[in-house]
Amino acid sequence: MRWMLRAVITAVLLVAAAFAVTACGSSDDSSEGSSTSSSASATTGAKPGTKITLWHNSADPPALRQLYKDFEADTGIKLEAIANPSAGFEDTTLTRWASGSRPDVLEYHPTVTNLLALNPRANLRDLSGEAYIAKSGDLYRSAATVDGKTYGAVIGFPQVFGIFYNKDVFARAGIDTPPTNAAELIEACRTILARTPGVVPIAESGGSQWPVQVLPTLLMGDANPDNTWGQELRSNRAHLDDDGSPFTRAMETYKQLRDDGCFNRDAASATVENSVRGLVEGRVAMVALHSDMIAAMVAAAGGDAAKVDGSIGFFAVGGESPAATYIPSPIGSYYLPRTGDADREAAALEFIRYVTGRGYGRYIASARAFPVIEGTPEPEGVSALAREVKASYDRGPANIAYAADVPGVGGVMVLINKLLIGQVEPEQISEQTQKAVEQAAKAAKLEGW
Amino acid sequence: MASTTLTQATGAPEQTAVRASEQPGPRRRKSPRAGGHWPFFALPAVVLVAVFFALPFLLNAGFAFSDWSGFSEEIGFNGVDNFRTLIDQEIFWPAVRTTLMYAGFMLVFAIGISLSLALLLEQTTRINTIFRSLFFVPVLISPLAAGYIWKGMLASNGPINGMLSFLLPGTVDTAWLGDPTTALPAVALIEAWKWSGLITLVYIAGLKAIPKEMLEAAMIDGANAWTRFWRIRLRMLAPALTFNVAVTLAIALMAYDVIAPTTAGGPGDHTTTLNIAMRLQWGQSFFGPASALSLTVAVLIVVSAVPLVMWMRKKEVN
Repeated sequence: MRWMLRAVITAVLLVAAAFAVTACGSSDDSSEGSSTSSSASATTGAKPGTKITLWHNSADPPALRQLYKDFEADTGIKLEAIANPSAGFEDTTLTRWASGSRPDVLEYHPTVTNLLALNPRANLRDLSGEAYIAKSGDLYRSAATVDGKTYGAVIGFPQVFGIFYNKDVFARAGIDTPPTNAAELIEACRTILARTPGVVPIAESGGSQWPVQVLPTLLMGDANPDNTWGQELRSNRAHLDDDGSPFTRAMETYKQLRDDGCFNRDAASATVENSVRGLVEGRVAMVALHSDMIAAMVAAAGGDAAKVDGSIGFFAVGGESPAATYIPSPIGSYYLPRTGDADREAAALEFIRYVTGRGYGRYIASARAFPVIEGTPEPEGVSALAREVKASYDRGPANIAYAADVPGVGGVMVLINKLLIGQVEPEQISEQTQKAVEQAAKAAKLEGW
Repeated sequence: MASTTLTQATGAPEQTAVRASEQPGPRRRKSPRAGGHWPFFALPAVVLVAVFFALPFLLNAGFAFSDWSGFSEEIGFNGVDNFRTLIDQEIFWPAVRTTLMYAGFMLVFAIGISLSLALLLEQTTRINTIFRSLFFVPVLISPLAAGYIWKGMLASNGPINGMLSFLLPGTVDTAWLGDPTTALPAVALIEAWKWSGLITLVYIAGLKAIPKEMLEAAMIDGANAWTRFWRIRLRMLAPALTFNVAVTLAIALMAYDVIAPTTAGGPGDHTTTLNIAMRLQWGQSFFGPASALSLTVAVLIVVSAVPLVMWMRKKEVN
């Protein structure tokens, strides 16, 4: 009988040790401000049945929504997804955030400029050392990271900005080679106006607010190799209103395009959905957008991805030379706000580990998206248009958008809208935006201000 | 003759009232001044106003002079820097101007439309009752829903332009909410439409309160319909008008929820009222400047609505 007693004691000790390990993992993960690096591969201590909230973008594609359901099914954790509308996404999210309300998981921009507005040191959990960071190349050098601490997880491929064009309209206008710089873009617009009457050369969508930033951002994209200019702006060594700044030049080109009649008449109030529909139907020649909008193009074509592949092309453009401009995507980028509730914080960390780990491969396969975490195979059946965008990004030069690291540029979309209707001049946009940058940089106590 | 009739008609109730106050009835309670209980009854209202209005107002007033932002945990006093920043960035004065213009448009639309509706629907008939209910429906609709509905209606390819193209020669494709000239009146009209049902009801109540004898006397004295309206009904409507102007002005100066879904402040900043500008600042985590704009709304209401209402009350008495 003595061996039985020994076996029981051993079993009890083993169970106690297992509990101790679990408890350590749990307390480590939920402690405020502590790094989770020591427990990156350990269990989070999340309990099935825990209910957590997720604030997400209403434009999350079906595959991402399926990932949320898979997470619930696989972990038993209940995820309440609360959508923030994609039109006005930033100010809706920040208004909610500013009211003091906090979700357990926040889907939001991983760019430093947007991250600073969340005051990460005080409000977000430090995820440095989590397994996915080491497996994501140098992504976190420019994304979701402030002062060497990584606060977010990015599972989406960066949004690549460029111009989507209708191939048939280009053919009818006799444009064989897509424009590569500002001068060629102006020329292409004039050609389209002359040869394909009734077609809008470039559709702008001021009613959806954010899209008007895309074209000017492209036109200064080539000025920011390795984010050098962005860093200078951030540290007060360069200014948007400097003489001959790429920012002012981009706005001047934009004004020229407006004066030439390149934009739709309702550019200041049209919605991006209308612009995309016009592009797919051949009423519009070009729309400056990012790669996450390919899904909207397929939707505008009645779900016919082959039609979109056949009729829509993509090209990168810059002020002087072509450059693929990108920004880490807000779709599929997550932060963990501090809530002070150990169970919910453990469950939220489980969410991050799930979407970057166990659930990631399945998500990539169903989204037909390009993976950013190593060890995940590229999926089958990616659309030709998405491949064209990726090829442009891979071919380079691919520069991160100037605004990625510069705080206070949130108001630029309103100013561009004013430019569209002739209410301001390019120089005024530069001056006023620079003032907002100064206001934000000083508030964030950035170095150099 | 008319003036004699009027004096007699209005004089009678006054005399009755004076007599009533002179009669020392046995059941009559002590007057408030004599009893001293009235502060007790006023207390709940005073507490509610203090806690839910005065205190937040004062706290917000403090933030307007602070460097509160989402970028930092520290909040420090920064004088009038927020106002200076907003003026430097050409946000403050355009927003004040737009807000006042919006209030002007809305006053004209809401008061004008509602008064016409009230005169049309004054008589209590079955059809008028149906129409009164119908016109009241927009009051019950969420302002956001109303905004989205009208955004679709007023789109360049929307039904309003479709109808105009049918009625008028040529094609009408004006982007009513995207054109700098039409955007502000268009959103003010939507807001007026939203509230006209309520304002109409107040006018109808006011019209119903006008003694019939007075109008009959005027008719006997030979006053035509316009004279009766201008000299009697409109003047007797003064209390209703004061109420409607005060309410409309407050709604207009606080305008946000109809503008947000329709134009979001655009095109450019042509419909950026103070509250829209406030939300834009707030949305960029600049809470200090947002509070400054919020304070401006409160001050604007106090300095414009209060004297206006006082002046109108005075006119009522006269």
